[in-house]
Amino acid sequence: MTQNHKSLIIGWIYPKLMNVYGDRGNIITLRKRCQWRDIEVEIKYLDAPLLEEDLEKCDLLMMGGAQDEQQKIVSRDLKKKNKALKSAIDKGIPGLYVCGAYQFLGNYYKEADGTEIPGLGIFDLHTINPGRERLIGNLAVQTDFVGNLIGFENHGGRTYLGKNIKPLGTVSSGFGNNGEDKTEGAVYKNSIGTYFHGPILPKNPELADYLIKISLKVKYKEDFELEKLDDSVADSARKVIAKRLSIAI
Amino acid sequence: MNILILIFGKLISSISKLLNLGNGSTWPGHIALKINKNFIKQTIGSKTKIILVAGTNGKTTTSALVSHILIQSGFSVAQNKSGANLLNGAASAIIQGTKLFSAKINNDYLILEVDENNLPLIINQANATYVIALDLFRDQLDRYGEIDSIIKKWKNAFEKLSKNTTLILNADDPQVSYLGKNLRSKVLYFGLNENDQGRIEHGADSIFCPKCQHLLDYKSITFSHLGNWFCSNCGEKRPDLNVSRFDVYPIPGTYNKYNILAAILLATDQRLSEKLIAQALKSFKPAFGRQEEFEVDGKKVKIFLSKNPTSFNESLSTISDLKAKNILIALNDRIPDGLDVSWIWDTNTSLLKNIPNITVSGDRAYDMALRIKYSELENFRIFEDLSDAIKKSLEQTKFGETLFILPTYSAMLETRKILGGRKIL
Repeated sequence: MTQNHKSLIIGWIYPKLMNVYGDRGNIITLRKRCQWRDIEVEIKYLDAPLLEEDLEKCDLLMMGGAQDEQQKIVSRDLKKKNKALKSAIDKGIPGLYVCGAYQFLGNYYKEADGTEIPGLGIFDLHTINPGRERLIGNLAVQTDFVGNLIGFENHGGRTYLGKNIKPLGTVSSGFGNNGEDKTEGAVYKNSIGTYFHGPILPKNPELADYLIKISLKVKYKEDFELEKLDDSVADSARKVIAKRLSIAI
Repeated sequence: MNILILIFGKLISSISKLLNLGNGSTWPGHIALKINKNFIKQTIGSKTKIILVAGTNGKTTTSALVSHILIQSGFSVAQNKSGANLLNGAASAIIQGTKLFSAKINNDYLILEVDENNLPLIINQANATYVIALDLFRDQLDRYGEIDSIIKKWKNAFEKLSKNTTLILNADDPQVSYLGKNLRSKVLYFGLNENDQGRIEHGADSIFCPKCQHLLDYKSITFSHLGNWFCSNCGEKRPDLNVSRFDVYPIPGTYNKYNILAAILLATDQRLSEKLIAQALKSFKPAFGRQEEFEVDGKKVKIFLSKNPTSFNESLSTISDLKAKNILIALNDRIPDGLDVSWIWDTNTSLLKNIPNITVSGDRAYDMALRIKYSELENFRIFEDLSDAIKKSLEQTKFGETLFILPTYSAMLETRKILGGRKIL
């Protein structure tokens, strides 16, 4: 089965409020990699207030990080629509949730002064901000389904996974979830949470293609093989960082 | 004590210049502050007016403009060197500006461009006559943190300013202009009434009402989140402008109009006549790395420092207005550039599409190449080595044409070295 005449609707959740670390690059990458293969793409910009009916039309979701003030607006809005996002994720709609978004999906976020902000409770994890130094730098992670991931991280919160969720991968260089247990990110159903900026998808085309593939699979209920693309520039960019971190990819 | 530090500092500064050990612009100040942490406070003469210039983009150009206007009007001016914008750079400026065997600096003006995080520290040390706040954009998130945290620090610092300080604020930047509310100090505003067709670009930072957090509306937008803003929810709006236009703009680019208006507002407040200011501006030459021109084998090279999404986009839109044919983008990720290059995905690289000769270089050349590739542009070349890149780009540049180089900070310093073998100021 080829992917011709197929189409995907990609929902960018809170593009105005949550876009602080170049996360637009993830949307650009998903769109281009679909278009280069003649898969039609529509991007839905889902700003606050987030509507359930919009979310349900999407085949793939992406949500990025935000600044504190914007994060508060999002938190207020998301609480109202908690069920919409939870049911979309539980139904298996694939998604990528970066940094602030990743933390939101957890059970709670504990600030440095002890205040606990409840999360959406979709991912079995919690985040603690000890008020110490932020975890910043280049990051490399080994996964068992899309090879090595290369990117950048910058977060104050430390995330700890619960029993009911798997990590995205194992840290080969950098901090990852908390700088302690070598885990990075989380995978729940078809949703991926991660601290990877960079942004993550342009430099990790295998992950981008994985998200496209499962989105097609969920939508059309069959397996797809994606046409190979020339990723030599991405490979070179990955190698520059891998070499600096002295890891093999 | 301070006399000794000053003499000693001058000595270190001369030696390091003589031996070419860097530029001598931070070392002497660093040592001075180690010996006496109140050095800055104690060595500024009572007649010297202090001007602090802060903001993500435009500090160096605005300081240079203010300095040029004041010098042309017959005043004596000391200032810190471009990039030396931490406390040690300020202390070094004092050391270099003070007359030998004098215990205090006695110039008419001391102009200090100040790093975003250091502005509150310098405000505590120096009783400023003017504080210019230009803008705040996302920049080196790994170093400065997010805009909100800087705004909080500035707000606390501005609340401590006395009524003898005049704040000069960019009214078009919603968060920056809102800092002028409820202060003891006099506040003056500059802004532009241009481009009523403008739309909010992707990655605009402060598009939420500084009072109620509602999404802002604009009557006009110049670029990013700058413009004639208002809030349809709470009624907050851009404050009235003290200046919005001038007849002489010596350097191109909308972003430079803001810098020029800020300088004019200060000069006018110092009772310099419009005629005198206009005359001074006509002889202004750009600060280093900011539209600085070189000539190599009969071909022009212009450097546009491009260090964050807004400055990159503004450089691109200015050079496309200038009908650029040749461009070299140099992306480094060293400490002065910021270690995180994800900001390139917030840039508007589609503006490159009419440029036939595109080259990318720098430590993160392939990241930049990837960004360009995803803008559907195939026609670009990659040279990791900056000297190679400059050489090859110049070969493709026709006689009479200009090669525009857009480097990050450390790549800019390297470019200047390669082009001129010149010392850094």
